[in-house]
Amino acid sequence: MKVVLLRFGELFLKGGNRKIFENCLISNIKNKLNGLNFKFNVTHGRYIVSEFDDEIEILSRLKTVFGLSSLSLAEEVVADVKSISDYISSIKIGDKKFKVDVKRADKTFPISSMEFAKDLGGLVLRNNENAKVDLYNPEIEINVDIRFNNKAYIYHETVQCLGGLPFGSSGKALLLLSGGIDSPVAGFMMAKRGLAIEGLHFHSYPYTSLQAKEKVLSLAKQLSNYTGEMRLHIISFTKVQEEIHKRCAPEFMITIMRRIMMRVAERICEKYNLGAIITGESLGQVASQTMQSLTVTNSVLKEKVVFRPCIGMDKEEIVKISKSIDCFETSILPYEDCCTVFLPKNPVIKPTISRAEREEGFLDIDNLVELALSSEELVVIK
Amino acid sequence: MSVIYLDNAATTKMDESLLEVYRTYSCDKFYNASAGYVWGVENYKDLEKARKVILEKLGAKKGDIVFTGCATESNNIAIKGCLREGKWEYVFSKGEHPSVFNVAKRLEESGKTVKYVDLKKDGQIDYEKLSGLINEKTRLVSVMFVNNETGAINDLHRISKIVKEKNPKALLHVDAVQGFCKIPFSLSELNIDFLTISAHKFHGPKGVGALYVKNKDGFKSIMLGGGQEFGLRGGTENLAGIMAMAKICEKINVRENYGKVAILKEKMIETLNDPNIRYIKTDSPYICSFSFKGVNGETLMRALENEVVVGTGSACSSKKAGNRVLQEMGFDNDYIKSSIRISFNYNQSVKEIETAGSLILKKYYEILEKVK
Repeated sequence: MKVVLLRFGELFLKGGNRKIFENCLISNIKNKLNGLNFKFNVTHGRYIVSEFDDEIEILSRLKTVFGLSSLSLAEEVVADVKSISDYISSIKIGDKKFKVDVKRADKTFPISSMEFAKDLGGLVLRNNENAKVDLYNPEIEINVDIRFNNKAYIYHETVQCLGGLPFGSSGKALLLLSGGIDSPVAGFMMAKRGLAIEGLHFHSYPYTSLQAKEKVLSLAKQLSNYTGEMRLHIISFTKVQEEIHKRCAPEFMITIMRRIMMRVAERICEKYNLGAIITGESLGQVASQTMQSLTVTNSVLKEKVVFRPCIGMDKEEIVKISKSIDCFETSILPYEDCCTVFLPKNPVIKPTISRAEREEGFLDIDNLVELALSSEELVVIK
Repeated sequence: MSVIYLDNAATTKMDESLLEVYRTYSCDKFYNASAGYVWGVENYKDLEKARKVILEKLGAKKGDIVFTGCATESNNIAIKGCLREGKWEYVFSKGEHPSVFNVAKRLEESGKTVKYVDLKKDGQIDYEKLSGLINEKTRLVSVMFVNNETGAINDLHRISKIVKEKNPKALLHVDAVQGFCKIPFSLSELNIDFLTISAHKFHGPKGVGALYVKNKDGFKSIMLGGGQEFGLRGGTENLAGIMAMAKICEKINVRENYGKVAILKEKMIETLNDPNIRYIKTDSPYICSFSFKGVNGETLMRALENEVVVGTGSACSSKKAGNRVLQEMGFDNDYIKSSIRISFNYNQSVKEIETAGSLILKKYYEILEKVK
C-alpha cells in the first residue's frame, strides 16, 4: 500500500510541552488535507498518511505544513523478511547505481540492518542485471525503515519540507502588510516559527488605487497557503496622512505616519487578542528603517513586542524567499502603497523621539487613531 | 446624477441598436459561415457584405478586409506577416500603442534591424526623420493614425508619400484604431498596405477587429487554422460581432460627428482654462491630454470616479508605470505624473461636458489644497 511518511524535526526539543506541539501539528495536517480522502496514523516518531486517491495534491499540500522536516512517498509492507524481500524483488531500476539502506527502529527484527541490506541488495541485482551497487555515490538509495507497528516502509526519495514549528503553536500576531516584497516574507518567516497570522493593511484611497488593495488581498491569499484562513484588517489612512501633511514638518511625514500606524496596530492587537506585531523592516533599507527611525517608531508601543524577521537580511535574500513562496510576482506590481503618498524629498534619517513628539503636538493623535480604527474593514481570506 | 464617461479612447459604450443584430446572428442565424449547407452559405454571404461595408467606409478601391478578434491581433498579424529572412529593416514610431511597440521590441530582441521615428513636441512623428530612416532595405513602416494618449494626428498623406517615394516596395501599416469612424479619411487617396481597426472604439462590440490588406500576395499568415479569412486568420468567424461592427459603420456619419465632438473638446478646454492646467494641442477632437500641476493624475482620476470617469493614458498599458508617449514628446516626470486623458463620444452634449469640466476643476482644487 502506498503511504506518505512524515517526519518532524524540532518537536523533539520541546520536552514536556511536546504533546501540545504534536497535537497542534496533527490538527494542522488534518486541516490542510481537508476535503481529500485520506487516513492518518501516528507511529513512533513518524506520521503516516494512507488511503488517499490524489497523490499529487496530497504531497503538494503536505509540503506547506510548518513543523514537518521531510516526507517520503513509501510502500508499506508487513515487517517480515518475506514481505520486504518480495517487494524489493519487484523493484525495477534499470542500469542505475544503487544502495540499500535498512533502519530498524524495532530491534527485535531477526536480522541485523547491515546483513539484511546486503541480502536485499542481492535481490535487486538479481532482478536488474545491469544495475550496480555503489555505496558512496548511488543514483538510487532504497531505504527500508522497519518500525514498531510491525510495518516496514520502503522508499527511495526524501523531500525536504519547510521545518519550523507547527502553525499556531506560538500564538497569534498581527502582520503589517504593505503590498511590497518584505512584509509577506516577514509573515511567512514568523508563521514558520509557529505564529498564526492576521494581516493589517493601510490604504489611502484615492491617493492609492483599488488595485493596490487588491494586490494586498492576493498577497494575503498567497500567504494563506501556508497559514490557512487569514483575517485581514483594512484601515483607511487618507485623513491621517492629509493631517500630518498639513501640520507637520515634511521630513517627519513618514516617521509620524509610522508611529500612528504602530499605535493603530497595537489597538488592533488588543481588540483581537493578538500577542505581537510583525513587520518586514530591514535595517537601513530606507530612511524609515534606520536604527534611529525604528527606535522612534517602536517607542509609541505600550507593551507589544515587534518581530522584524527581515531585519538582518539583504534585499536579495528577501527576494529569494519571496519567490519561493510565490509572492514576488504580485509584490512587484507597480501600484503605489500608502507609504509613497506625500513622500517628502528628504525624509529624516536620524529622528529623535523628542522631535517626533514635538511634531505630533500639532496633531490630535488620539482622535486620528480613533478615526483610523473606525474605518476598519475586515476581510477573511480562505 | 449618473457618471459622465470621458474615457472613450479606452472603449465606448456599445450602440444599443446592435444588440438585435448580435442576437440574430447568435441565436437565429448562428450557423458557421464556413459550413456548406444553405444556412452556412447564407451567413457567408452576409459576412462578405460586412467586408464590403468596411471597405467602403475606408474608401478602399482595392484590397480586402481580414476580420480579427481585436486591434492587438490585427497589428500582430500585419507586422509579423511581413517579416522576412535577411537584412531587412523595420521602422516604427515611438508613439505606437503597446500592441505595435512591444512587437517592435520583440523583433529587435530577435535580431531584426528595427528603427524608431521620434515624436515632435506636438505628438506627431518627425516626418523628416522618418524620411531619413527609409532606404532600399526597408521592409515595413508602421505608424499610427491618431495617437491614443494625446489625440495627435499623423499626416497619412505625407507619410505614405515619404515611404513610397523613398522605397516603392516598402510596406506601410497604419494602426487607425483611434481614427477610423472618427476622423475623415479615404484609403483611395492614400498608399497604405495595411490598416488596423477595432469595433469597440466606435460603439461596436468588444472582441471584433479587422485588418485591411491591400495585397495578400506574399503576405504570410501567423494564425493557421481552417483557412478562414483568406487563410490569414484561421478560426470560426465571429459573425455576430462582425455584423454588429458593419452595422455601426453604416450608421456613423464621420463628418457630422467630427463637427459635434470638436465643439465638446473646445468646451472642455475652455472649462479647464486655468493657469495650473496645461493641455497638449492636438487635432483629434476625440482625445485631449491635460496635466494638473501638483496633483497626481491617478489620484484625480480616482477622486472623480463616482462623478466623472477619465483615463490616465492607455488603458492597455496603465498597469505599467510611466507614460512612454509623453516621455518621448519631451515632457518631464512631474508633468506626466499629473496628466489625465479625456476622450469624448458623439452622443455627449456640450452641457454634459461643461458639467464634467466644472467637476474636474473643483475636485482638482480640493486635492491640491490637501497635498500642496
